[in-house]
Amino acid sequence: MVRKSKGRQKVEMVKMANDSNLQVTFSKRRSGLFKKASELCTLCGAEIAIIVFSPGRKVFSFGHPCVETVVDRFLTRNPPLHHQNSGTMQLIEAHRNANVRELNAELTQVSNELEAERKRGEELNRVQRASQGNCWWESPIEKMEMSHCEQLGGSLEELKKAVAKQVDRLLIQTTTNPNSYFAAGSSGHPTLIPNGGFNGVPVMPTHPHPHAWNPGYGRFF
Amino acid sequence: MARKKVRMSYITNNSARKTTFKKRKKGMMKKLSELSTLCGVDACVVIYSPFDSQPEVWPSPSRVKNVLEKFKNMPMIEKSQKMLNQESFLRGMISKTNEQLKKVRKQNHEKELRHTMFQSLTTGIPQFQNLNLMDMGDLEQLINQKLDEINSIIENLSEEVIENETKMSKLNNNACEGIHGM
Repeated sequence: MVRKSKGRQKVEMVKMANDSNLQVTFSKRRSGLFKKASELCTLCGAEIAIIVFSPGRKVFSFGHPCVETVVDRFLTRNPPLHHQNSGTMQLIEAHRNANVRELNAELTQVSNELEAERKRGEELNRVQRASQGNCWWESPIEKMEMSHCEQLGGSLEELKKAVAKQVDRLLIQTTTNPNSYFAAGSSGHPTLIPNGGFNGVPVMPTHPHPHAWNPGYGRFF
Repeated sequence: MARKKVRMSYITNNSARKTTFKKRKKGMMKKLSELSTLCGVDACVVIYSPFDSQPEVWPSPSRVKNVLEKFKNMPMIEKSQKMLNQESFLRGMISKTNEQLKKVRKQNHEKELRHTMFQSLTTGIPQFQNLNLMDMGDLEQLINQKLDEINSIIENLSEEVIENETKMSKLNNNACEGIHGM
């Protein structure tokens, strides 16, 4: 199995030698750092300012409530301005906190969806690998011999015809009920593998060919 | 290390909040230090917590002052370009995550279509029941793509066969002439 990346490796704590790796590392780690900072503010109610100069000419900063106020507070060594006493400031802060709460909730939700979708992808990979083991026609085509190629081609042509028939059928359905364009036979979204998991078993063919079809009308529809 | 999923909201329990603060602050400072070292860049952090009137900083107060002065001296435009607060940062994260979600959904959709195609071939029964018109269009595309691949392989294989036959007949001719020429 070809891995997409090397995975977690231990890194030596010195300046990175490879410049493009350095750029990528900077980008990723900076992003992760700001995420940690945001979480610290949300979880513990801290005020923070982070300044990071980039390997190029840019400067990145993250601040809560904002970079400038925290920086000024530190540099002037002033006690925090008790702006909380001002009614307007309180309102602004309350509004901002409400926004952040909403955004955090939204981020959590989308992240969960992403994770679920990734899991689904891995399940689909597993299913594909399992069936590739059983059927020669699912293997890469480049390695196929002539007779197999022709056989697979024939079956695909037949399947193509079946697809065209189904499309006609659905089109008729659509014209009689315009709302059904996005509706499938049953549900609106094709889910071979619902998030709950897949209990499919790869089909063992009784003879080692894809079905040579005779698309008799009565048989499939 | 405990790896429970944390709910992203203010920790109301005082001691839990203080513990969390200490741990996360320490971890964050380590990450900042690593970033600075690995990438050879100037960086600093200033943290005001509800538990302490004094700010906690990295690296040292004097070096922090240096970095902050350097920051302050930058033109406003350059400073603001990559300046974030929680709101803008979170919006960016949400947007990025949505992009990734779209990409993975598309990949999964393609995998499912591929599976549908091969299941139909294997069983001899078209597995169209969950597919709408758009999916059927995508499926047709996938089938055409496979057919193109197959046809080009068949062409290549046929060419090879013809080449070999031509070579063989040339060799035969030469051999025959050789014999007659004797």
